[in-house]
Amino acid sequence: MRASTALRLSVVGAVALAIALMPFVLSDYNRSQGARVAVFFIAILGLNIVTGYTGQISIGHGAFMALGGYTTAILTHSHGWSTLPTLPVAAAVGFGAGIVVGLPALRFHGVYLALTTFAVALAVPQLATNYSHFTGGVEGLPLPTHTGLWLYGLGWSAAAVVFVCAWLLLRGRTGRAFRAVRDSEVAAASAGVSLAVHKTLAFGVSAAIAGVAGSVYVLTNNFVNPDIFGLTLSLYILIGAVVGGLGSLWGVLVGACFVQLLPIGISNSHTVSAQSVPVIFGAMVILVMALLPRGAAEALLVTAGLPKRLRRVHSSPTPQRLEAQ
Amino acid sequence: MTRRIKLALALAVVALGVSVSAGLAATSSTPGVTAKSVTIGGTFPLTGPAQLYSAIPKAENAYFQYVNAHGGVNGRKIIFEIEDDAYNPAQTVPQTQKLVQQDHVFAIYGSLGTAPTLSTRGYLNKLGVPQVLVATGDSYWGAQYQKYPWTIGFQPDYPGEGVIYGRFIRNKVPQAKIGVLIQDDAYGQNYYAGLLKGLGPAKSQIVDVEKYAATQTDVSQQVVKLKSAGANVFALFALPTQTIDALAVATHIGWKPVTFINNVSNNTLFMYLAQKAGADVQNDISTYYSYDVFNNADSPTTKLYASILDQYDKGWNQLDGNNIYALGSAWTFVQALKNAGNPPTRAGLMKALTHLNVVNPFLFTGIKMHTTPTDRYPIEQESLVRYKGSTWVPFGRVYSKVK
Repeated sequence: MRASTALRLSVVGAVALAIALMPFVLSDYNRSQGARVAVFFIAILGLNIVTGYTGQISIGHGAFMALGGYTTAILTHSHGWSTLPTLPVAAAVGFGAGIVVGLPALRFHGVYLALTTFAVALAVPQLATNYSHFTGGVEGLPLPTHTGLWLYGLGWSAAAVVFVCAWLLLRGRTGRAFRAVRDSEVAAASAGVSLAVHKTLAFGVSAAIAGVAGSVYVLTNNFVNPDIFGLTLSLYILIGAVVGGLGSLWGVLVGACFVQLLPIGISNSHTVSAQSVPVIFGAMVILVMALLPRGAAEALLVTAGLPKRLRRVHSSPTPQRLEAQ
Repeated sequence: MTRRIKLALALAVVALGVSVSAGLAATSSTPGVTAKSVTIGGTFPLTGPAQLYSAIPKAENAYFQYVNAHGGVNGRKIIFEIEDDAYNPAQTVPQTQKLVQQDHVFAIYGSLGTAPTLSTRGYLNKLGVPQVLVATGDSYWGAQYQKYPWTIGFQPDYPGEGVIYGRFIRNKVPQAKIGVLIQDDAYGQNYYAGLLKGLGPAKSQIVDVEKYAATQTDVSQQVVKLKSAGANVFALFALPTQTIDALAVATHIGWKPVTFINNVSNNTLFMYLAQKAGADVQNDISTYYSYDVFNNADSPTTKLYASILDQYDKGWNQLDGNNIYALGSAWTFVQALKNAGNPPTRAGLMKALTHLNVVNPFLFTGIKMHTTPTDRYPIEQESLVRYKGSTWVPFGRVYSKVK
């Protein structure tokens, strides 16, 4: 276990170093693009905790991002806060909302839960539209302008903190309980795992992380209004999580790069039609589900030749294991 | 355990160390301007729910090519960078940042859509980048110039247009029971606010208001509800795709109310597509402010328009009313650039656009473009039109000061 931990730490360290060195070779515009990748990195990581690790489907994470984003926007714009202290507040607001939305998860399963979270994704931007004296309505609120370097630093620092926290949470007792809930609720309950506590906790933690993502998101936009938290945002997070690999932290970076950089790259290449982006997204999701059910994480671990035992630790349910229930 | 936490913390610190802020590099000369060229850029829905507008940037670029072939503006050729944002504000922001920070454009010109324009307005104004002749008729651009002096629109504002329909219904449609279909965002709300204002006391005759999300292309549910609410007047304030769908569905379910179609969806091409989908659009009512190329096929303006597009926009669709809109807008930009100084400056461009007093050959005959630093609505006149046969026919007078 010690050796594998050291190996994992060195891989993470190398990736972190690469990310830390990137801004020195990027233009300021590309640094802000890098910050956007960090936004998706954080959001996908958050979704992974509730969907990948705990097995509760959420297609409403854009709503938690909206809550975090509006927290930062309102505190900086209307209450004169500086930017950084708003991030923990955004996480707290997300946590609270996540607990509330997590309550239906105690009774709903699968597609019914997915529809519940879908409703949240639709409702939150509407609330922002209606309470316009507070949120700026459709006209939105401006945010402080920052350089690409500042945004990159903020985004990836937040990503690093969130990643480390998630890792520490998931590798221990709580993570084991989450995975037990995912693999078999009956077995988990009979082993003494409280379903109610762990399901709502997973939603809370996941939404808190999405709240942080929302804060960084609105800062990269210098602007917030309900339209930037459309349904596509929630779907992009889910697509990123699937492509990266549900139930593993290894592929999150791949998923984030996929959903953020691919559309921009295609649009800027002027060779492939931008019409093809949704087609590519759809095809990739089908391909990944068919060939690599554990996403890019699986592919990365296989090519890295990591021991099988190590892979299994964070694996998601395979068809065989589901049948075994 | 503690060692691991220490390591983890060290990683976080490394990442934190990156966050050193740096000031934006100051530039001495005007970005995007050289002795030989002026580079401008804009974002447009080449894909997505509003892609029926995608002819606009192509036709605008055709006009710039035509101007370039005739010597450019003060010897400078116009280079027009077109970016796709799919009508999604979340994509407009990075695309606009790319145009400003990476391509160093002189100005953002003609960017399309209310929500996309709102999402980049603060950013562009903070940096002092002109955001000019935006292709959206919301009242924000004209009304909030003190807060956003670098932003200016082009076409008549939507609330003003809504007022025209509202007044017409109040005065000319007795016993109206009004059903409204709007897009559920700033664009739809602007039209609806104007309609209410124009209706005045008659607003109590609204029997139902249905909304759809901009990404939603099927509006049949909403149309069925409007019919069953007993409406005999249909105010349709939607994007082209949804407008075509709504018109077709209304006919299919046997509903023929007095229909009002907002200007940005009344393109002859869209009407043609709606009829192909089975819609009966005869006698529907809308407004016009672009030059009427369809009823003046032999005029010099129509011939110039067609020759420019034949030469520089291969495969252009003659039915598509977006083309004449685009030429009217591009003509205005060229006119302003001529008066923006030599070499042109960003402040000079804004000054030129806020001192317009010209007749634009590509606008409806009788309309004059006029702005002052405190009146920033370039076009404030519109004519009512009724659909007859296969074209819109103007009727009544030209309505002025439609704010």
